[in-house]
Amino acid sequence: MGRPTSSSSSIDSPNHFAFSSTASSQRDLTTDLRLGLSISIAPPFVREQWPPMKAAVAEEEHECNSSTFYVKVYMEGIPIGRKLDLLAHESYYDLIRTLEHMFHTNIIWAEAEMDRDHYEKYHVLTYEDKEGDWMMVGDVPWEMFLSAVRRLKISKC
Amino acid sequence: MQKKMAYSFPDEVLEQVFSFIQSDKDRNAVSLVCKSWDEIERWCRRKVFIGNCYAVSPRMVIRRFPEVRSIKLKGKPHFADFNLVPDGWGGYVLPWIAEMAGAYPWLEEIRLKRMVVTDESLELIAKSFKNFKVLVLFSCEGFSTDGLAAIAASCKNLRELDLRESEVDDLSGHWLAHFPETCTSLVSLNISCLRSDEVSFSALERLVGRCPNLRSLRLNRAVTLDKIANILRRAPQLVDFGTGYYAAELQPDVFSNLAGAFSSCKELKSLSGFWDVVPAYLPALYSICPRLTSLNLSYATIQSPDLIKLVSHCPRLQRLLVLDYVEDSGLEELASSCKDLQELRVFPSDPFGAEPNVSLTEQGLVAVSLGCPKLRSVLYFCRRMSNAALVTIAQNRPNLTRFRLCIIEPKTPDYLTLEPLDVGFGAIVEHCKDLRRLSLSGLLTDHVFEYIGTYGKKLEMLSVAFAGDSDLGLHHVLSGCESLRKLEIRDCPFGDKALLANAAKLETMRSLWMSSCAVSFGACKLLGQKMPKLNVEVIDETEPPDSRPESCPVDKLYIYRSVAGPRFDMPPFVWTMDEAVRILH
Repeated sequence: MGRPTSSSSSIDSPNHFAFSSTASSQRDLTTDLRLGLSISIAPPFVREQWPPMKAAVAEEEHECNSSTFYVKVYMEGIPIGRKLDLLAHESYYDLIRTLEHMFHTNIIWAEAEMDRDHYEKYHVLTYEDKEGDWMMVGDVPWEMFLSAVRRLKISKC
Repeated sequence: MQKKMAYSFPDEVLEQVFSFIQSDKDRNAVSLVCKSWDEIERWCRRKVFIGNCYAVSPRMVIRRFPEVRSIKLKGKPHFADFNLVPDGWGGYVLPWIAEMAGAYPWLEEIRLKRMVVTDESLELIAKSFKNFKVLVLFSCEGFSTDGLAAIAASCKNLRELDLRESEVDDLSGHWLAHFPETCTSLVSLNISCLRSDEVSFSALERLVGRCPNLRSLRLNRAVTLDKIANILRRAPQLVDFGTGYYAAELQPDVFSNLAGAFSSCKELKSLSGFWDVVPAYLPALYSICPRLTSLNLSYATIQSPDLIKLVSHCPRLQRLLVLDYVEDSGLEELASSCKDLQELRVFPSDPFGAEPNVSLTEQGLVAVSLGCPKLRSVLYFCRRMSNAALVTIAQNRPNLTRFRLCIIEPKTPDYLTLEPLDVGFGAIVEHCKDLRRLSLSGLLTDHVFEYIGTYGKKLEMLSVAFAGDSDLGLHHVLSGCESLRKLEIRDCPFGDKALLANAAKLETMRSLWMSSCAVSFGACKLLGQKMPKLNVEVIDETEPPDSRPESCPVDKLYIYRSVAGPRFDMPPFVWTMDEAVRILH
């Protein structure tokens, strides 16, 4: 590669940039609220995809034997998933309770009610069926769901 | 007199001389000597490495190097490994394959990293290159086993098929059966990333059995423990082996069969795989442990006592990848048993747990730094660190070339003094004069960057997250690190000033990634306008950056040097700051 040539080693930023040299690292809060982002100023920080690890490779989709039925559960924004034994649950309500506890959020499914003003606190629960389609959890009877489900996904609203 | 000298060697002689020069850097230097050397060199260059597929166009490469046999391409930025680069960003290999299909009919090797490969690309490779030998797809995605079937069926002299860490749409295990019975040329086969429960095991066995030169074989989880012995007996010449699923109920006959099969592999030096390993089956490896130089246990969820037992049988170990179940005690054992250790990677078993689940601290790393004189490369996830430990590590191991530390909780201070870890990392860069790669974590101020800029003269790649106080930090790095090629930053308070003041530096680097920082849209536009040799790309999945005031920070920014100009395959959420292209929009 040849040596790069530029006429100046730096560019002066025009003075109309509202750049301050203070140590503030926060974005413009009003902008964020307008965008519907929920960035909190105080800890815990919003950190997606941290710690920096590759998603586990080549995991088995689910293990199936007479007493357990593990499926993978992924939450949007987190590359590392969890595993859940569906047969350890009796009903959708049981499952939702476990998931809300596991992922520290409120879950929307077919029979849930949501406070529309605080949608950022909710996540939608869907499942991948045998045909590869993503469906909302809760529409079919529990037993039928167990026979069709391959994995679960929790997405932001 | 000068002119005469230039023609005193016939081209053929120069070509012969150049054929001994293999490294890209040296080849590039040769081509700069004079026009005639450039001309001779470009016709006999056989291997090309392109670190950023968007830095140059396929046509440009082909025009300059008409007789290439081997190409290596990298696509997405490194942070794509951590899901920071949205799907659809780019890195498509098809345009390259399409151009090379016509220009390089004798192409033998394609090595790709973080690129999107489609079945169409694979089929095109299979069809176009009659002497195709090596396909390595490292962390790639976008293709299925149908594409692999095309490669298997058509490539008569295939030597290497390595799919390491790629995402493959596993439609059917049957693709393996597409290798014709006449295919006996395989040297390396890595299918460890395939997810399916089905692998055509009989096809695999037959394939392995008829390839006498097979040196490296990495299986996927579908291959169960009882089948491993069958495979090994057909390939006792293996040097590198990746087991499949290494769990089963302990059965004496299965165990002794396995132990016997391993012991017949006299060349075996490297092991990996071990999904769901059952400790009771580990002693089956003991006969080969004394020869092992590389051991990847990063999927092995076994506890420290079992790990210690295994590692203590491997005195020649040079490379160890392991989960933090190894604990400080295991690392102390490693330090006393494995004096040849060069590379250590310790991964977290429970990265999202609030409390530590294992007793792995900075002590383990300190022990290894003290006990292993050849240690060069470290990747270490832990939950606490101190400046004192880092200083000790730096003083013990000035020969470190790669040091990547990830303290799991961002902005964690020195646990003893509650101070930032500036001094500790400063010691690392000061003592380790050959340090090429560094990843920072913990509580860090601008001071750490001052150290890095002052001492990190050989530093080529730097990864930064949740660190620094102001633009001064970024300025120290950009102005001080003379060898810097790749800089990736997330969640730091770095803004416009340092970036614009060091704009020319960016042309000497491969790329810069900044996400969740404080660089304004206006600065990005200015950079794009003033620096035509840089592609300045803004990534924003929520809305176009110019729908907000110019002073608003952009979400993600990727800047890379390029002689190909702005790219045309950008998805809707990527905006180029190239003035001409923007105006057209």
